Amino acid sequence: MAFYPIPNTAPFGQEEIAILNRVVGPATPIQRAWLAGFLAGLDAAATGAAAAATGAHAAAVAAPQPAAPAQPTEPLTILYATESGNSERLASDMAKAARKMGFKPSVVDMADLEMAALASVKRLVVIAATWGEGDPPARAIRAYGELMGEGAPRLDGVEFGVLALGDTAYTEFCAIGKKLDARLEALGAKRVADRVDCDLDFEEPAAKWIEGALKALAPEDADRSRVIAVDFGAKAAPAADLGPVEAEIIELIDLNSSRSGKETYHVELSFDGATPAYKPGDSLDLYPENDPAYVEDFLKAAGLAADSALRTELTKSRDITTLSLKAVETYAAETGHRYVKELLDSGGAKDWIVGRQLIDLVLQFPIALTADHVRKVTRTLAPRAYSIASSRSEVGEEAHLLISAVRYESFGRARKGVASGYVADQLKKGQRIKVKLRPNKHFALPAPDQDIIMVGPGTGIAPFRAFVQERRATSATGKSWLFFGDRQFTHDFLYQLDWQNAVKDGSLTRMDVAFSRDTPEKVYVQNRMWEKRRDLIEWLDKGAYFYVCGDAKAMAKDVRSTLVRAYADVKGLGAEAAEKAVSDLDRAHRYLQDTY
Amino acid sequence: MTKELSRNERIKEASAYLRGTLAEGLREKITGAIIEEDQQLVKFHGMYLQDDRDLRPERGKKKMEKAFAFMLRLRIPGGVCTPAQFLHLHEVACTYGNRTMRLTTRQTFQLHGIIKSNLKATMREIDEALLTTIAACGDVNRNVMCNPNPYQSRAHAAAYATAKAISDHLLPRTPAYREIWLDGERIAGGEEEVVEPIYGKTYLPRKFKTVVAVPPSNDVDVYAHDLGYIAILDADGDVKGYNVTVGGGMGMTHGEPETFPRTADVMGFCTPEQAVAVAEAVVTVQRDWGDRVERKHARLKYTIEDRGLAAFRAEVEKRSGVKLGQPKPFTFDSTGDRYGWTESEDGNGHLTLFVQNGRLRDIPGGPQWLTGLRQIAEMHDGDFRLTANQNIIIANVAPDKRWDIGKLVEKHKLTADASPVRRNSMACVALPTCGLALAESERFLPDLITEVEERLASHGLTDDEIIVRMTGCPNGCARPYLAEIGLVGTGPGKYNLYLGAAFDGSRLSKLYAEELDHKGIVAALDPIFAAYKSERNEGERFGDYAIRAGFVAQTGNGPDFHNDTGAKRTA
Ligand code: SRM
Ligand SMILES: Cc1cc2nc3c(=O)[nH]c(=O)nc-3n(C[C@H](O)[C@H](O)[C@H](O)COP(=O)(O)OP(=O)(O)OC[C@H]3O[C@@H](n4cnc5c(N)ncnc54)[C@H](O)[C@@H]3O)c2cc1C
Ligand SMILES: Cc1cc2nc3c(=O)[nH]c(=O)nc-3n(C[C@H](O)[C@H](O)[C@H](O)COP(=O)(O)O)c2cc1C
Ligand code: SF4
Repeated sequence: MAFYPIPNTAPFGQEEIAILNRVVGPATPIQRAWLAGFLAGLDAAATGAAAAATGAHAAAVAAPQPAAPAQPTEPLTILYATESGNSERLASDMAKAARKMGFKPSVVDMADLEMAALASVKRLVVIAATWGEGDPPARAIRAYGELMGEGAPRLDGVEFGVLALGDTAYTEFCAIGKKLDARLEALGAKRVADRVDCDLDFEEPAAKWIEGALKALAPEDADRSRVIAVDFGAKAAPAADLGPVEAEIIELIDLNSSRSGKETYHVELSFDGATPAYKPGDSLDLYPENDPAYVEDFLKAAGLAADSALRTELTKSRDITTLSLKAVETYAAETGHRYVKELLDSGGAKDWIVGRQLIDLVLQFPIALTADHVRKVTRTLAPRAYSIASSRSEVGEEAHLLISAVRYESFGRARKGVASGYVADQLKKGQRIKVKLRPNKHFALPAPDQDIIMVGPGTGIAPFRAFVQERRATSATGKSWLFFGDRQFTHDFLYQLDWQNAVKDGSLTRMDVAFSRDTPEKVYVQNRMWEKRRDLIEWLDKGAYFYVCGDAKAMAKDVRSTLVRAYADVKGLGAEAAEKAVSDLDRAHRYLQDTY
Repeated sequence: MTKELSRNERIKEASAYLRGTLAEGLREKITGAIIEEDQQLVKFHGMYLQDDRDLRPERGKKKMEKAFAFMLRLRIPGGVCTPAQFLHLHEVACTYGNRTMRLTTRQTFQLHGIIKSNLKATMREIDEALLTTIAACGDVNRNVMCNPNPYQSRAHAAAYATAKAISDHLLPRTPAYREIWLDGERIAGGEEEVVEPIYGKTYLPRKFKTVVAVPPSNDVDVYAHDLGYIAILDADGDVKGYNVTVGGGMGMTHGEPETFPRTADVMGFCTPEQAVAVAEAVVTVQRDWGDRVERKHARLKYTIEDRGLAAFRAEVEKRSGVKLGQPKPFTFDSTGDRYGWTESEDGNGHLTLFVQNGRLRDIPGGPQWLTGLRQIAEMHDGDFRLTANQNIIIANVAPDKRWDIGKLVEKHKLTADASPVRRNSMACVALPTCGLALAESERFLPDLITEVEERLASHGLTDDEIIVRMTGCPNGCARPYLAEIGLVGTGPGKYNLYLGAAFDGSRLSKLYAEELDHKGIVAALDPIFAAYKSERNEGERFGDYAIRAGFVAQTGNGPDFHNDTGAKRTA
């Protein structure tokens, strides 16, 4: 688009003109329209014309109104598919930016997406995370299925762009974003912004993509006389306290018996500053450090043991355990290692990395490495999320976590999880750690008079301890029913005494347990659900909310399919009708999951 | 005015014939326990609620209740069971139990570590094996013991028949057992009609134990039980009747001299046909005369002390209609088992194996009891017999099977040859399962015996048979007061040492030294061993010697047990 410099005749000084040119010159039509509106509004305000302006922005102090009539702004649909909230946050960030640029954004959770509505969309942005092993986030499953199926509407003429969130540690990296991107095109939509696949450190690339996408989606050469209404009254949204904070560990106990094969740590945190305003259902991001022993081995393997600065950096802030295809590629590219290249070319790398860690790569394919190589091959060490196992209304300025130690052996090496290992082996009572609140409004308690059913085997029990504490503290009237499972009744019954007390004082109406290793045939929570299916369906018919937390790979799926079978059996429904009964719960936001 | 009945009496009264709220308690899924009242009642069903005391310290911290689990005690009259039954129990122990089987001092099996949620399944398995746990514990007539004596097969057959008959006749009749554990069907109004012709609503004041002995073996320790039958054999080895004994018992409480062990008195003689009627009469007299106010004074031995033997005998004769005859002469030689192979008149072989403290398990590098006995049971068509010394007999092995079984026994190290003193030692269960244990027993005795062996060897006494028994508390489950060397726990790592009991089980011991620790025990015994070696008469037993040499005073009977205690001589 042509550039009309501000004439020297303008009532400004030379360098003011220069400055203006620098700003107005490259400004997009929308930006220019906004400026016009802004100036007009200012004048209007100055001449007190705003006194006439009523109603609309009553809250605004003398909200100036644009002199020129505002054009209808450009609609933009921002669709997100999220499990742990990242995509959702990015969606609302994008909406803010879009509003600034004159779009009229509407942010839609994929959980609520109706296919019919989709066809009428003009501009579509999709921010989608991938979960499980290349699966959509639980809440998005229904809509995703419909969009992928024959039932999906044609989207000819729709302009779109996709931002994919993922984790290179998973083989199905950003699978869902990729599939949606391809699908929208297949349905006739026009890609105006190329997809970007983000790793765990997504903030920067995501921000870039949003900026670019908004530019691309902006109407090409909009009528230059356009003026955008500028709302001088709009107040800045209150900044949620989401920054990392320091907390002291005031309790750290392995809840499993000394005879158990598992370690699950109950961690009590007390906060130096203000306690994050968490609600039952929220999680905390915990910022771990790498295992000193592992760091040592790694530095030795890399021949960099002497670099103490690097040692600190790796310990505190680099992910030196995850071995992703990307890491292997970078390693090959940076070091030019012949055999690694061969491994990649042969296509064998994808399988080779399974069960291995970065140190295996360095050990198996040694080569002179620099600190810089290491930085390039690794990504920043990401925090781990842990459901909060307490309610502030009961524990006050504390937050409790329940952390299961990940330990396993692979390729002759004893391995441990970075964060859970950090908690289990490095941290002691009295030490401090960094955590960040990770709100999850999609896994919150319903009104106090609503009944709730909670299914939480293993560490999935954590948020339900918060739920029950909250309901006790607020003497909620709704009934509650908890399903818990683990290996052995005697050695793995997490928080057993808490549950016994809760049942005594009525804050927990009923509890069923399944222990897989107490009997010859394994018993899981879904088996108990099946035994109790009549009561289950009765509770749900009476409006109970259904919560599932814990393992996403097997448990969450089994629980869901069990509930479907329960509907079929109890109500004599066909497979489809039963499936619908459960997805109706989804839509009504009464089937809530927090699985990992 | 009569004093208030003991709490247990009220629990029994209110239990509707042992039902209590057991059925409801089993449905409570988030606790491994049952309520206090039911804990008392469940004993009558053959089980105890226990908790793993090794884990107690950590449980609270970990927000878990005590590590509760049940101990099941089988009821196996005379300790005789079939290979099929053994295999069934073996299976249960490995599936639901703690992968061990415990041979008890009263000829039966105990299974430990069964959690509440598995109780019913376990009880069903046991029922399928045609076995039961009914009345293996509780205030009733317990498992009836009988000398397993295979080498006098005819006498044993008769004695066993008597034991079985008494056991069956004195079984509780309440339907509660089948109802709660097996059928699940509550017989309507079941608690109303009189279901217990012999016991009544409140059963006995206390536990009641019956045994049948076949001289010359006193392996069942006939003097330690409430009711005993000593078989009197005629010239050709047939049982022509029994001397009846009453009022034996071991249990006492430290620091309460009014509680004491007591050896039974011989009350008279009866024919085999009269044995059951006499048993019923003894039970009903104890039912009506026994102390229901003070449980520590409720055993038959105290009833006999208080009422006198003559009065008791008269009442028994009145109720049974049996005129008891003059006791016949008999002699016991020992309370121990005869190890190794023996052969009976019918030519069958019988192999008695020493099981240290009765604990059947696969010991790394040692005897593979579970595996070995399972493989034997799979091919054996005779029977198994448990002895009162916590040992097991592979009985009635047909001549053609003998070699194969011998091979299996060797393969699984089931005859790890133990020294005479070890073979004559017993320890009760105690920690970690026994809720009453004050000190270790089963887990400590083996090491102590090793040191005793060294001491004996140093004095050239290796081949001497000396009876050593240890218990973790004064209740006396391994009958320590009838051992030549008795060790009774008083607190962690501390034991009282008793000496001077008779080798044949006819005389109680006397307290020699108190509160000895591991070293103290060995130090106290060593000089006595030395003296025994140099001063003993030809064939003089260690227990008899301890008295003659003046180390301890001789104990007359029960009430005399606490008199004149302490070391009379130190070396
Ligand atoms: C398993 C066994 C010891 C062993 O190592 O074999 C045993 C184990 C227990 N005895 Fe016993 N008694 C065992 C034979 C005895 C004997 C020996 C005998 O009967 O020949 C006695 C001494 C004789 C007597 O009864 O006086 C005996 C006298 C006691 C007493 C004290 C009774 C008394 O009147 O003073 C108690 C405590 C009680 O009853 O209050 C007791 C209580 C117990 C309990 C059930 C503890 C409890 O009440 O909570 C022990 C369970 C421990 C465990 O974890 O297994 N046990 N108990 C024996 C099982 C016998 C059976 O199969 O029925
Ligand atoms: C919203 C949310 C809530 C969560 N809440 C909880 C909670 O309350 N409690 C809790 O304990 N966890 C919870 N998690 C999981 C937690 O965030 C971490 O993923 C978990 O603790 C592992 O992290 P780590 O750093 O210890 O292990 P990492 O260093 O991340 O290692 C884990 C990786 O190790 C590999 N691995 C693990 N086991 C094996 C094996 N057997 N064989 C081969 N490879 C293996 C896998 O690649 C796995 O991804 C939650 C997760 C989310 C997203
Ligand atoms: C249990 C679990 C499974 C995951 N599976 C995948 C996967 O298969 N592929 C992938 O690229 N990312 C995967 N991720 C990473 C997430 O997509 C990533 O954390 C993303 O930022 C989450 O976005 P959200 O908060 O919007 O759900 C997984 C994360 C978790 C915790
Ligand atoms: S003697 Fe005492 S410690 Fe030993 S088993 Fe009997 S009651 Fe328990």
